[in-house]
Amino acid sequence: MSPSRLCRGAGCSASSSFRPTQAAGCPPVTRRQFLGRAATAGGLVTVPYLVPASALGLNGEVPPNERIVLGGLGVGNRGSGVLRWMLPEKDVQFVATCDAQTSRSARVKQMVDAHYGNTDCVTYRDMREFLAARDDIDALLVTTGDRWHALASIMAMRAGKDVYSEKPSCMTVAEGQTVVETAKRFRRIYQTGTQRLSEAKFTVANELLRTGRLGKVHTVRAHIAPWDAAEMRHDWLPAQPLPPDNQVDWDQWLGPCPWRPYNESYVRGGWRGFYDFHTSCIGEWGAHTFAQCQVAIGAVDTSPVEYGYVDNPTGDGMVTRFADGMEMVLHRGDKYWRGSCGVRYEGTEGWVAVADGYPKPDVSDPALLEDSEQVVRDYVERTGHVMSHVRDFFNSVKSRRPAVAHPEMMHRSMTTVHAANICMWLKRDMKYDPVKEEFLDDPEANRLRSRAQRAPWIM
Amino acid sequence: MCNRKTSFCLAVVLLAVVLLAGALPLRGQTVPPATPEEEGKLIAVLLSDTPLKAKMDACRQLAVIGTPKAVPVLAPLLEDEKLSHMARYALEPIPGASVDQTLRDAMGKLKGRLLVGVLGSIGVRHDAKAVPALMKMLDDPDPETARAAAGALGKIANAEAAGALREKLGSVPPKVRPAVADATLACAEALLAADKPGEAAALYESVTKAELPKHFRVAATYGLIQARQAAEKKK
Repeated sequence: MSPSRLCRGAGCSASSSFRPTQAAGCPPVTRRQFLGRAATAGGLVTVPYLVPASALGLNGEVPPNERIVLGGLGVGNRGSGVLRWMLPEKDVQFVATCDAQTSRSARVKQMVDAHYGNTDCVTYRDMREFLAARDDIDALLVTTGDRWHALASIMAMRAGKDVYSEKPSCMTVAEGQTVVETAKRFRRIYQTGTQRLSEAKFTVANELLRTGRLGKVHTVRAHIAPWDAAEMRHDWLPAQPLPPDNQVDWDQWLGPCPWRPYNESYVRGGWRGFYDFHTSCIGEWGAHTFAQCQVAIGAVDTSPVEYGYVDNPTGDGMVTRFADGMEMVLHRGDKYWRGSCGVRYEGTEGWVAVADGYPKPDVSDPALLEDSEQVVRDYVERTGHVMSHVRDFFNSVKSRRPAVAHPEMMHRSMTTVHAANICMWLKRDMKYDPVKEEFLDDPEANRLRSRAQRAPWIM
Repeated sequence: MCNRKTSFCLAVVLLAVVLLAGALPLRGQTVPPATPEEEGKLIAVLLSDTPLKAKMDACRQLAVIGTPKAVPVLAPLLEDEKLSHMARYALEPIPGASVDQTLRDAMGKLKGRLLVGVLGSIGVRHDAKAVPALMKMLDDPDPETARAAAGALGKIANAEAAGALREKLGSVPPKVRPAVADATLACAEALLAADKPGEAAALYESVTKAELPKHFRVAATYGLIQARQAAEKKK
């Protein structure tokens, strides 16, 4: 769902009576009002109009009708971190969580109940049962392991939910395409968890590039994770008996992936590095850094057309090239950055580099940072995307404008991840057609764009 | 003080682990892509008494390099509870009509999850010849099977599939209806993309009139408007 495909404001004639954005001079329209009016305007559904908060005299509290009802799917360690960002949002009410592991749902319930001071958070185990039962839920936080991100998001969007999905948000090109298609079909808001797109220092770097202050940019550099390899494991850990009391639904945990015997290590996070569950050291950070680079250079609707194989186990030094000649180079290690998930943009008149832990970007000339605060303010004003990734998502849920990390951006940057991985696995240079979304003259590479999913967990 | 020392030691150990992980990537545990010349060996593995894991790995490799030669060996595995998914894993990307025929044949032999998997693969392969059999399965008493048949028809998305979905939309059980509606919307999108806005509009309209959750009717309403506008432009 690229922004260009959606009606984003005045001047768009298509379905203007359903325009979700706030037009000049018109009162704000809530998500529920919007859905109700859209359906009613078609003469097909009757949905009651909502009473505005001001009429209820709620003294700043967000009335229930204006709240976003949130649920969780597979909220574990990382998910709890995201949930900690989400819970303080006053217009959000987290009501239920679903997990194949009982202990994880219990921890989420404890955290949520402690936050609200009640015992209301409901736990579920079966994802399909959860989605069918909770039509009151507006949006879902999907923070399963990588193997489930796309399918869970697709199932959630088909059930009418908006989705915030952790990254890497798809395991294959085919999964990414289906996320895009489903979000578009049901006009769902979707945000992938590339939260650096909503951080000021990374935004400054992107804006320096976008506004031409680095001159003509010829090379962008993207950090890949310093653990695991591009080569993936296919071995099985030793079989162990399932834990007592049905604590883990192993079939659901595996989801669409090939069956393998249970081992506790997998469900404790040890799934990383396995081909069935992970997208390698390239996907681990590339899901972030490729997205950063592709947003910066305006390549959110395409992917590189060339991938150069490097004879090492990790992909370090791989040069990818976009159709316009822009190079994106993959780097592992600390040659360019002192922190994690770094990006660096190099132009004819300067460079900028930024990573986690930096108080501000490194630049070729300090003058580039003199107006950083204004640069960020201008970005927020221009795009409407705020410097909080979860808030940006909730704003989009209400306004129905695409979030900053929308499905097309996710799919195209993850396609770069998948193509780089395939290049490493097949150990040869690759050419990719981002329009047809296929490798050129390489049937074996094309076969790796999708994987048959295990029933019943099929897209 | 003691705590600080402990924390420092822990940090050093953690750093060492991270550095070691970086220096010693997990090589040697992968299943390397096979060369086309190795197809015969992989087929032999599937015909042998080797353990399940080795057969599953052979299927992974055939998924990349397999040819129609492997199809007769993979076909019976579709009926094997433990290997059915991996047989599909290998078959799904192999080009050629023999795979489609094999999957269609399996439709008549399988039930439950194995059948659901095969229906998924038929959809991925866009096998139009499977449409008549898929249409019948929309009435299957097992909702999971009926939903999978609808999903496959939505991916095939030809006129015949669209017609069947539209016809069944009002009569399938409520548990199956959303899957039929989703597939109907997919067909409508395909028709719109193929510059057949009139036919697309008819499909969208059928979804707006069906008893479905609100988001389906909203999606169909948008589609209907788009299709009508496209039809108007064509006049």
